Amino acid sequence: MRKNDHPATSMPNQLMQRFQPYRWLLLTLLLLLGLVITWFFMPPGVARLFRRDLTWQTLQANGVWRVGMDPSFPPFEWLDDSGKPVGYDVALAQQIADRWGVQVEIVAIGFDSLGDAVRTGRIDSVLSAFPYDERLTRDIAYSAPYFDAGIVLATSVGSPIQSVDDLSGRQVAVEWGSMGDMVGRRLQREGIPLQLAQFDTPDNAVSALVETQSVDALLIDQVTLRVAQVQGAPLVAAGPVLESNSYVIAMPVNAHELQEAVAQALETLRGDGTLVALERAWFGRTKERVSATDP
Amino acid sequence: MAYQLRDKLAQHRFTIRNIAAIVALILVLGWLGQRLYIWYVVNVPLGPQRTVSTHNPKIGVHTRLTDEVEPWKIKRSLEMVREMGAPWIVEYFPWAYAEPSPGRYDWRHHDLVINHATRQGLTVIARLGFVPEWARPAETTPLYLDEAQFPAFAAFAAEFAKRYAGKVHYVILWNEPNLSLEWGYQPVDPQKYVAMLRAVYPAIKAANPDVQVLAGALAPTLAPPGSPDGMNDLAYLQAMYDGGAAAYFDILAIHAYGWYSEPDEPPAPDVVNFRRAELLRQVMVDNGDGAKSAMITEGGWNDHPRWTRAVRPGQRIQYTIRAYELAQESWPWLDAVCFWAFRYPWDAKSYQDYFTFVSGDFEPKPIYLEVQRYAQE
Repeated sequence: MRKNDHPATSMPNQLMQRFQPYRWLLLTLLLLLGLVITWFFMPPGVARLFRRDLTWQTLQANGVWRVGMDPSFPPFEWLDDSGKPVGYDVALAQQIADRWGVQVEIVAIGFDSLGDAVRTGRIDSVLSAFPYDERLTRDIAYSAPYFDAGIVLATSVGSPIQSVDDLSGRQVAVEWGSMGDMVGRRLQREGIPLQLAQFDTPDNAVSALVETQSVDALLIDQVTLRVAQVQGAPLVAAGPVLESNSYVIAMPVNAHELQEAVAQALETLRGDGTLVALERAWFGRTKERVSATDP
Repeated sequence: MAYQLRDKLAQHRFTIRNIAAIVALILVLGWLGQRLYIWYVVNVPLGPQRTVSTHNPKIGVHTRLTDEVEPWKIKRSLEMVREMGAPWIVEYFPWAYAEPSPGRYDWRHHDLVINHATRQGLTVIARLGFVPEWARPAETTPLYLDEAQFPAFAAFAAEFAKRYAGKVHYVILWNEPNLSLEWGYQPVDPQKYVAMLRAVYPAIKAANPDVQVLAGALAPTLAPPGSPDGMNDLAYLQAMYDGGAAAYFDILAIHAYGWYSEPDEPPAPDVVNFRRAELLRQVMVDNGDGAKSAMITEGGWNDHPRWTRAVRPGQRIQYTIRAYELAQESWPWLDAVCFWAFRYPWDAKSYQDYFTFVSGDFEPKPIYLEVQRYAQE
């Protein structure tokens, strides 16, 4: 029998014998390594079960939700005559905080710095007619949209126009140069023979349909549409949003409990009609605000 | 046991060889496929030589292709500039991208932009700047340049001028040096800027005497004296002349933003508006430099719904076209009006998006179509 044929002296066995005294140490190290790898590479859904959300815990402990906004954009947010932030977003933040049993602290920050503020933990969330940015999803978590300010086709109540397919030969009002104008020209390029009537302001475009009936439909943003509706204009959206511009709530990417709480709150507010009520309450006040600040 | 293993391996040797050969073949084919794909993506055909059709030869835009990776998007952007009727573009050619280590040049991206631009019949005004890491101290921004590195910048600018001889006839040296931000967060210093011109200008001329050197590109600002953020552009230009800058540039680069005022609003030293360009021109004339021309290499209007310096979209169209018209009819000393910015590689999701003429996915905005209509009238 050759020496190396004996099972007890073959290579693997020699190795096993050599490491026999350290087997528990090795097993422990392997286990630790496995835990480290699992910790860093576990899917986000699993990670949520183990990792604590410090943003949410601090928010709960202090009883304060720090919300960043740039209060210069009625009807979503602006400062009233006493310097207090008011508007749709302020009211929405308050509604959410009420459901959590905490106070809202509005932190005024310039629009372009809001993303950095939430990333660095200066604030817990951004609620400021803030758009979703797919490039930043590694750094910022976004809620589902609570409002889409994009472009829609709007018609008078009872109009036979139900969608862009019905626009052939129709006069469609837009604000000259706006996104609505861009969508109208796109529809023309796509072969829909509509005629664009261009106006200097969105209000004049709305008037052309509501007051003078000189056009058949509008391509306008949803804020303008809501404002007109709240003020009594008999207008409806016909068909889906044609150019989306969704507003979302931005949060720290690791604040999974806060994200979940925001998602639940928005769902509740949407389900019980609060979001619609907020639109009615605030979108009708845009013109008041504008006229109050006119010289 | 080891022998048993060896025997088994011997039995399967032929199979193992086959598997190895198949794996190697797959790897080789994969590598070849990848190279072929890269070749296909990189080598977007230049296409036939084009010319720009326009009735206003001063129309221009500042493109923003620096971070545009895909060649077809570079080509499409430049095609759309031509189709709009703009013969001029300003484009940024970062030094750091072209010279990642001293003396080792990588011109691929710059070649791509310049070759496509010239094939579209566009005149390129090349903005040079952006300091490589190796040419600046640690913890400084790419806009920081020490005097000790002026020769290195001059060498790069000379290489650029030589390489693109016959294709690029205009270069701008630096951008908005009257802002601390653009001067590497140092206190702004017109004399240091003049020293840079003094170092770079002769190097460019030696490499390619046909290149016209643009200087200035000052940010329109009313910063008070001693401001840590910047220096009033009119004062800065005068300080440049006081420092002897006149001998070291051929054309003045001007930034002319209209903010919320119309293009015909009269200029005044305490107002930032489009016609502030005339005040800069007056500084040139006052310093005996009136024989030189100027170019607007940035400017325009913005129609963001929530930016305080924005106008309505229709006003932006009117003002932009009127500004092109004004330059053509009334400013014989101005060669080109290049407005910021034609298109971004991606949406900035801020007011910056509302300076553009074309969306990120190449959809023409109404302003693009209106300028096109004006240019073709």
